[in-house]
Amino acid sequence: MIAPKETIHFIKDFDSTQNRLQSEDPSWIKNLRKASLNRFLECGIPTSKDEEWKYTNVSALNDLTLAIAHSGSILENNQLQKFLGPEINLVFVNGKFVKELSYAGIPAKGLTIRSWQQAIENDEKIIEQLLKKYDLQAQKPFVALNQSLAQEGIFVDVAANTAIPSLIHVVHITSSHAGALFTTPRCFIHLGKSSEASIVETHICFNKDLSYFSNPLTDVYLDENAILHYSKAQSESLKAYHIGTTRVWQERNSSYYGFSLSVGAALTRHDLDIILNGEGCHSTLNGLYAVDKAQHVDNHTSVDHRFPNCTSNQLYKGILNGDARAVFNGKIFVRPIAQLTNSYQLNKNLVLGHNCRIDTKPQLEIFADDVKCTHGATIGQLNEDELFYLQTRAIPKKRAVIMLSHGFVDDIINKVQNPAVQNIFNSLLVPVFQALE
Amino acid sequence: MVKASEEKLLNEKTIEENSLSRRDYKYGFVTDIETERIPNGLNEDIIALIAEKKNEPQWMLEWRLKAYRHWTKMKEPHWPNFHYDPIDYQALSYYTSPKWKKDQQPKNLDEVDPELLKTFERLGIPLTEQKRLSGVAVDAVFDSVSVGTTHQSELEKVGVIFCSVSEAVRSHPELIKKYLGSVVPYTDNFFAALNSAVFSDGSFCYIPKGVRCPLDLSTYFRINAAETGQFERTLIIAEEGSYVSYLEGCTAPMREQNQLHAAVVELVALDNAEIKYSTVQNWYAGDKQGIGGIYNFVTKRGKCLGHHSKISWTQVEAGSAITWKYPSVILQGDDSIGKFYSVALTNNRMRADTGTKMIHIGKNTKSTIISKGISTDESNNNYRGLVKVLPSANNARNFSQCDSMLVGNKCSANTFPYIEVKNSTATLEHEASTSKINADQIFYLQSRGLDLEGAISLIINGFCKEVFKELPLEFAVEAVKLLEMKLEGSVG
Repeated sequence: MIAPKETIHFIKDFDSTQNRLQSEDPSWIKNLRKASLNRFLECGIPTSKDEEWKYTNVSALNDLTLAIAHSGSILENNQLQKFLGPEINLVFVNGKFVKELSYAGIPAKGLTIRSWQQAIENDEKIIEQLLKKYDLQAQKPFVALNQSLAQEGIFVDVAANTAIPSLIHVVHITSSHAGALFTTPRCFIHLGKSSEASIVETHICFNKDLSYFSNPLTDVYLDENAILHYSKAQSESLKAYHIGTTRVWQERNSSYYGFSLSVGAALTRHDLDIILNGEGCHSTLNGLYAVDKAQHVDNHTSVDHRFPNCTSNQLYKGILNGDARAVFNGKIFVRPIAQLTNSYQLNKNLVLGHNCRIDTKPQLEIFADDVKCTHGATIGQLNEDELFYLQTRAIPKKRAVIMLSHGFVDDIINKVQNPAVQNIFNSLLVPVFQALE
Repeated sequence: MVKASEEKLLNEKTIEENSLSRRDYKYGFVTDIETERIPNGLNEDIIALIAEKKNEPQWMLEWRLKAYRHWTKMKEPHWPNFHYDPIDYQALSYYTSPKWKKDQQPKNLDEVDPELLKTFERLGIPLTEQKRLSGVAVDAVFDSVSVGTTHQSELEKVGVIFCSVSEAVRSHPELIKKYLGSVVPYTDNFFAALNSAVFSDGSFCYIPKGVRCPLDLSTYFRINAAETGQFERTLIIAEEGSYVSYLEGCTAPMREQNQLHAAVVELVALDNAEIKYSTVQNWYAGDKQGIGGIYNFVTKRGKCLGHHSKISWTQVEAGSAITWKYPSVILQGDDSIGKFYSVALTNNRMRADTGTKMIHIGKNTKSTIISKGISTDESNNNYRGLVKVLPSANNARNFSQCDSMLVGNKCSANTFPYIEVKNSTATLEHEASTSKINADQIFYLQSRGLDLEGAISLIINGFCKEVFKELPLEFAVEAVKLLEMKLEGSVG
């Protein structure tokens, strides 16, 4: 066992939480938790000396005292009801699954949705099969933190040869009167051979003054020929920390269409790690971030081309206002056998504020010769001529700025195929454009 | 003259290598010349000895010692994308010079050992009066000392000072005190500190106000002795409204041990001045198995101190076992311009981690980066660059483009661009691509009667055109030939 002084000090009552977790779970998950905890304690909270955390300072976490929530009651029920659509909703409040708010009907044929606890018992095979592909000793610190503490979560499994027509919406809400919370949302998505599904994961908070730390981890495991449309949207409280990771494992000929939207949180860090572990895979990684005032957003993506004939396509756009900071780090690895790889990456930043800061680092590491890889990054302001033109048409400058910014955003929002997802995104973006008024 | 036995050895080697369908490194010969070298090792006494050999004033020695003391506190960095065996800094000799007759450095070229002059002639750098390259003034550096500088009197007429840095320490101490270490302080990095402590010769150029330097200035660096390192130091100062074009070339013999080359180059451009710095780097790169070759760990940096000043770096990196350098520009003056053009070719087991840093400080500063990397065989080619816009740099503008070409399936090409923007009015564009030589283009050229090598050579030439056109004519021709020679046999 871990000696008391080696506990994670920013979590209140860490030991009792630990003990609670040790209770009745199968031994493999206990071992996983233990190894992950050791890994996190070994890494500690990263500092800016760590190349992966060069531009994002998370040392403030050291000063926090966070509690793990015991109650999953929502204070802003009306607002939530407005936010939820007719899709299959799975609602978590403060990391607790709330059955009453979630979809109660019979799920579609071939679709299994289970709580993380049930999944650990029933779907051990699938979960373990994927998790053992990752080296526990090389886990990133915040992946390890989640794995060591995550107790509740969701498991979505789509059987082979099925297409799920309805959208699955996983909602994580933080709502509290009490002190700062720590949540570890856990999501595991498995698509069987030749199946298809659309999933959107949102992290929201209706009280923009609430301070908490959300540390989500999502694992996606795509079997051969599977197609997943997966979006993650985040509109956390403006005092929250959101440090999340999405890991995607793709087998032969599978396709992943991902989108990541970040509008909230004081500090956002999203790691998206994709492993293309079979020939003919395709990945789309699109993203949008819109930050204002003292917000900080950091997107780290990595695409590991391990087999030939795969394609990946990446476009991240950002709007910065006020004193906001944005970081983008995109990595593309092409292994020696991954010939005929086609990989594209672009990061575009629109700077509206006067005191913004952008650090972008698109990287290519290529060990195969017959490949086509490109990347690009731009940082700029709105075109003066375009603004002038709109003004000559009697459109006030503010309105013109909003129109042009909308154009910048819509370009990427329109790449999301599902209109229901687009609606969710647009509703989350409303405050961004309101702030420009 | 090269001794007959050595000549033979060299020829044998050349034939052998040629039979392996690769042209040899033609500058790999050793000049057999009596040398004077100080004992291996590095400590304060050695530094005092170097200063004594070079007849340096006390303040220079103190400056060296300060750097040395700082260096002893530093750790060798290991962040680049390659590994190399640890360097034993105590096993090197830090000062090697040809033994002069009458025990003092010759005052002019006529007194120089003819064998030395022949060496440079063989390298294509004739120093003697009749054969001098017209339009280029050359400072020839052999191991740790400058052998001679041509066209000095011609330059003096317009007020340009062009001499070895050791001479400048003696004759122009006020300029050296003012500018040496002002761009690359000895605290900058491990190798810069080492260089500051032990630097031997290099060139010093001073272009006075309003003068457009009538000749291209050039320094040719040659490492000859074994178990030495070369630690040259170059300082170029362009006063208000002046212009200079400076060229640098370098070669070394073929040896099985790795040799260290840790130079520091500092450029200072004042108001409206322009410095154009071109390098064709062709140090010995090691053999096919990656044995031997030069470790080229160089700190090059320019400072656009005045407004409307301009510094441009053009480099063709075709040699060295390991190249690890980032010619940078600090854009301090308003409206200043920094440019970086680079072609880096790696073959066999060469490793290159090169790129640039553009630090925008002044208003309306502009920078352009064009980098072309070609990797063949089992080599590893990295572009690493930083574009940093500080809060004061309103309306900064940057355009970067780095393209890599892979020839063969055992090589690798990586790009690590860092873009850090702290000013909202900046506009930056960065693009990079990595690809294979287009098969259709090769096929087309072959259908027109070119052989495979010719076709590839032509395509690569086109790929690098943007950079070559920035080079002075003689250098551009040399660079094209160099690439052809290096690529020979590496494809097909």
